[in-house]
Amino acid sequence: MASAAASPPPRTERISYFEDVEVGEPLETPALTVTAAHVALFEGLTGGAPATDPEMVPDLLALCLSSGLGWRVPRPPLVVLAFMGFDWKFHLPIRVGDTIRSRSHTAAKRSMKEGGVVFEEREIVNHRDEVVQSGRLTLLVAKRKPA
Amino acid sequence: MSAQVPLSFEDIKVGEEFVSPGRTVTEMDVVLFAGLSGDYNVLHTDAEHMKSSQFGERIAHGLLVLSIQQGLVSRIAPELVEQPMTELAWKFRGPIKIGDTVHVVARVSDKHPADRPGWGIVTIVRRVLNQRGEVVQEGESEHLVERRLG
Repeated sequence: MASAAASPPPRTERISYFEDVEVGEPLETPALTVTAAHVALFEGLTGGAPATDPEMVPDLLALCLSSGLGWRVPRPPLVVLAFMGFDWKFHLPIRVGDTIRSRSHTAAKRSMKEGGVVFEEREIVNHRDEVVQSGRLTLLVAKRKPA
Repeated sequence: MSAQVPLSFEDIKVGEEFVSPGRTVTEMDVVLFAGLSGDYNVLHTDAEHMKSSQFGERIAHGLLVLSIQQGLVSRIAPELVEQPMTELAWKFRGPIKIGDTVHVVARVSDKHPADRPGWGIVTIVRRVLNQRGEVVQEGESEHLVERRLG
């Protein structure tokens, strides 16, 4: 059996803290095709009335999908303690079959006693590169624990 | 669901208030939403980790409760809240835990003609309350509503 001293430390999930957030650093997510299955699941889960046009994607579904896509960027995941709020604009409708991705950057960050606040500017774009939704999100992020 | 009555800008009354039914947020809601959105943050998915957090347990995704809120309001005023949204400003005030029951109080706070001829903008202020009457989320949505011709 190999000695314990020679074995590398266990691999764990890499994470980013408030201190690692760089203002202005552009991040782009992979793309996701919005399907009728997404729409059906979302309508069933949220209890919204089905849209008159079944090809239309609910406004809020795209925002929800972008939150999951946001974890799939080249930066290790942020330790988000709380989602504090957002200001959001809906520019163009999204239809079933459209492929969306999101682009974002940190507009500003503010250190607090417990963690720090990160202001993220985000755009959701479709496969024609049109901005379909955009806005600013406010997140409370953990600071690195002193060693 | 019954067919929606077409709504025009002129029919909307500023000050009108809507109180939704309640809905209990379940573990299944949170698990389904994690799968649908791809947001698997430990806040929502790791019960053991969350025991030592300030919340003491898993909490629902803010965007899940926002989406549930939209569904709840659409049960009492579908013709209103399903008009296309142009803007949404939202604050997450407090955690929603598995088993909490939320309902929504919404009010038409403003309407004015849009820049686009033939259309108006209607503002709806919404508050999401838990079973103790605490406001856990609140915000304002703007909707584009067609004006009646003539």
